[in-house]
Amino acid sequence: MSQAELMNEGLSLMLYGMGFVFTFLTVLVFATSLMSKSVLAIAPEEPAPAPKRSAVPVAGTNDPASDPVLLAVIGEAVRQHRERRR
Amino acid sequence: MEKIIALWEGSGVANLSPGQAIMIAIGFGLLYLAINKKFEPLLLVPIGFGGILANIPEAGLAFSAVEQLVHMQVPEQVADLARILNLSSTGVKELSEAYANAPAQVQLAAQLLADNLNYNNGMLYSFYSVAIGSGIAPLVIFMGVGAMTDFGPLLANPRTLFLGAAAQFGIFATVLGAIGLTQMGVMDFSIAQAAAIGIIGGADGPTAIYVSSVLAPELLGAIAVAAYSYMALVPMIQPPIMRALTTEKERKIEMVQLRNVNKVEKIMFPLVLLVLVAMLLPDAAPLLGMFCFGNLMRECGVVDRLSGTAQNALINIVTIFLGLSVGSKLVADKFLQAETLGILALGIVAFCIGTAAGVLMAKAMNMLSSKHKINPLIGSAGVSAVPMAARVSNKVGLESNPHNFLLMHAMGPNVAGVIGSAVAAGVMIQYVSAL
Repeated sequence: MSQAELMNEGLSLMLYGMGFVFTFLTVLVFATSLMSKSVLAIAPEEPAPAPKRSAVPVAGTNDPASDPVLLAVIGEAVRQHRERRR
Repeated sequence: MEKIIALWEGSGVANLSPGQAIMIAIGFGLLYLAINKKFEPLLLVPIGFGGILANIPEAGLAFSAVEQLVHMQVPEQVADLARILNLSSTGVKELSEAYANAPAQVQLAAQLLADNLNYNNGMLYSFYSVAIGSGIAPLVIFMGVGAMTDFGPLLANPRTLFLGAAAQFGIFATVLGAIGLTQMGVMDFSIAQAAAIGIIGGADGPTAIYVSSVLAPELLGAIAVAAYSYMALVPMIQPPIMRALTTEKERKIEMVQLRNVNKVEKIMFPLVLLVLVAMLLPDAAPLLGMFCFGNLMRECGVVDRLSGTAQNALINIVTIFLGLSVGSKLVADKFLQAETLGILALGIVAFCIGTAAGVLMAKAMNMLSSKHKINPLIGSAGVSAVPMAARVSNKVGLESNPHNFLLMHAMGPNVAGVIGSAVAAGVMIQYVSAL
């Protein structure tokens, strides 16, 4: 390949390459936005509040003293502990 | 006495060539950078160690069976080889050159001869042909990277994809730079080699290794070392450029809080990307296909075991072999050339141009739309180097405004940069192989 040809190839690779990268990512921007919009339209904010709902009760409102399963577990643990100490 | 002489002649010291000594020193240098300076240690430790192994005299760990035969220089054996290659001389250099340029059938005959004479491929040579020669290791790593990548910030603000596109300008400007050096007669790069050097500007190790293994395997050692060392230097290279191109006011821009991204969107994104790649750029399909596959495993939530393996055990195993294989390319006669210096110099230029293009693109986008300003500092994260480049954006932003956390905003262009460099890689492979 001659010198001038090589330079030409380099220039056209740059134009073609940058052009393609931009075109591709622009199409991706539109495709992504379209996808996001349609997803939000079909399933609006469904999973978003879900973690909140599960997070809040665990965090505070549940009183441990009123949980029969928890009380039973603690009671059994205490009983076993005492048994072993004897 | 004869025994002692034989022992001496078989020792490493007697056979050490100056080139090998320099390469072993470079290997120790890489280990020092990795262990003491924490330069991408996960890769530079295996690469540096592999480089040392590859240059142990007489061991021939990085040689194929035929190369071992050539280097042993047993008179009858090299004479046989010379006959196969239709050559009168039996010198190491002549034989290696003739073998490299011989047609496939002749090479096969030479391999059979070496096989019959009980020569085997060196350990590192075998690693290289399995891991990189086949193209598998960079692709498996890309799958792991996909499984580690969270596209949430990108989905919340898809415009940041443009920043990832702009930063790829570094790649193509460097291709032109490499050709310019050839033009001036300083170096001698073909268009394929220039393209492989340019990809250093993508700041993405596996992509750089993949592209150079396809386009210019002879430069792979230098390209991989340059790519990983500069990725480690991102915190030093980028900030001065970012400060020079932005005003204090621009650096203080606070960006709006990112919206919550739906789980379904996260599952859909790799599929959308995959379809686009399939439709528009099949040459990027190996890289982006594995990337999307890894990301889908992460987001779909039903194959946590596979996703966990891809982003932990598997990527670690492959990294070990990838590093050692790259090290096998650090043999003296291939690495100690003026071209290597040119590659190192062009690589850092690529990084700087990519960083600058990303920042300037962010400023241009601010001029075009006035609502939801973008802090130009996140533009520099468009060169991939995940997550280092995003951390740099965050750090420089905090210097101007201690309450401005840009990290999550910068992750958008950062992962966009990974997609951008993979697309650029596909374009270059397609363009060069069509020539």
